[in-house]
Amino acid sequence: MLPWRTTYVNFRSRQDVPTVEDDDLALVQRARLGDAEGFRALVVRYQRKVYAVALGIVKDADLAWDVAQDVFVRVHRGLDGFKGESAFGTWLFRIATHVAIDSVRKERITQRDDVDEVREADLEGAGEGILATSLGNDPRETLLRHELAAKMEAALATLPEKHRTILVLREIEGLSYEELADRLGIHKGTVMSRLFHARKKMQAALRGYAGVRHRAPAAGSDVERGTSEGKVEE
Amino acid sequence: MKPCVRIAPMIGSRPGELPAEDARALAAHLETCADCRALAASFEVTDGLVAEALLARANARDFAPFVDEVMARVGHRSPRAAARTDRRSLLDALRERWRIAVPALAAAVVLAAVGTFMYGGEHVVAEPEQRLASLEVELSGEGSIVLQTSDGPVVLLAPDDDTGS
Repeated sequence: MLPWRTTYVNFRSRQDVPTVEDDDLALVQRARLGDAEGFRALVVRYQRKVYAVALGIVKDADLAWDVAQDVFVRVHRGLDGFKGESAFGTWLFRIATHVAIDSVRKERITQRDDVDEVREADLEGAGEGILATSLGNDPRETLLRHELAAKMEAALATLPEKHRTILVLREIEGLSYEELADRLGIHKGTVMSRLFHARKKMQAALRGYAGVRHRAPAAGSDVERGTSEGKVEE
Repeated sequence: MKPCVRIAPMIGSRPGELPAEDARALAAHLETCADCRALAASFEVTDGLVAEALLARANARDFAPFVDEVMARVGHRSPRAAARTDRRSLLDALRERWRIAVPALAAAVVLAAVGTFMYGGEHVVAEPEQRLASLEVELSGEGSIVLQTSDGPVVLLAPDDDTGS
């Protein structure tokens, strides 16, 4: 027996505390080695967020459920190919985006695409300050925000797929312009204009809720003629 | 073209996302254009609400069966698949370090060839008996091993035997 006792002190500096990314990688490694619990933990960790992204893109709750499951099945199949060069979450949501978009495109029969280019006609009514004036900017109005949030889903559902997708990725995943360009395979300028259109359409869809009447476009204007509709983008 | 057309897509950008020149142009434009200022305020009000709405829907849904359904679909990852992963990891590691692995492998082959030439052909003079005699192994003490080599004994001390007792 040793004449002294070795005492191990569990001392960790703040920098040593594992991040979510480190933890994800550890779970991925466990899953790759056949540990079902490791993969289960990853699913539990991300299932709601993946579902939320899918719901935002595909609109239908049941379809979003199936899409979210497909995402995890694909992730499981692709574990061997995951090199850890990006965060697991980034890889996961990249797959989720593609699966959800593919799903929408399969479901879609015909749907006109909107242009991403910003024209002067798109700025009609910009000065109305649609929701800012109606709701105010006070973040403490949480009840109102909650009510509004409930309407957001319906409003989001009125947007074309590409506008829903870019808004969802921007807001849920918090992707930057550069990341959105990379994820969607489009130019940064297109990202910016597509986001602009998406937001404008959300504003328009929410007008009814806010009780603001949209200023009618002048007769014969681009807006009335719908020149922003049906054009080939990019 | 109204400057708004160029500036409007920049509205809603986050700090640091725009090149400095564009950020300055946006700020300057917002100071002078009431329409774009109002638009920016509108975007700000709804910013984050999409995420809020979707995550609220996700949180309201019962996810208890979700993970079980996924696990049922993926099945249990077989040990064979896991072994394949390990093998692939080794191959991947070699592939990633080929600049080191290839020269090392080449050097090993050359050394093996030289060794074979030097000791495997006519240069080998030692008879099998002589080679056996040059190395005798005996156990000594509590686990120590003595190797009798042609250059003298070599004692491999067991961990408990290093005090010489």
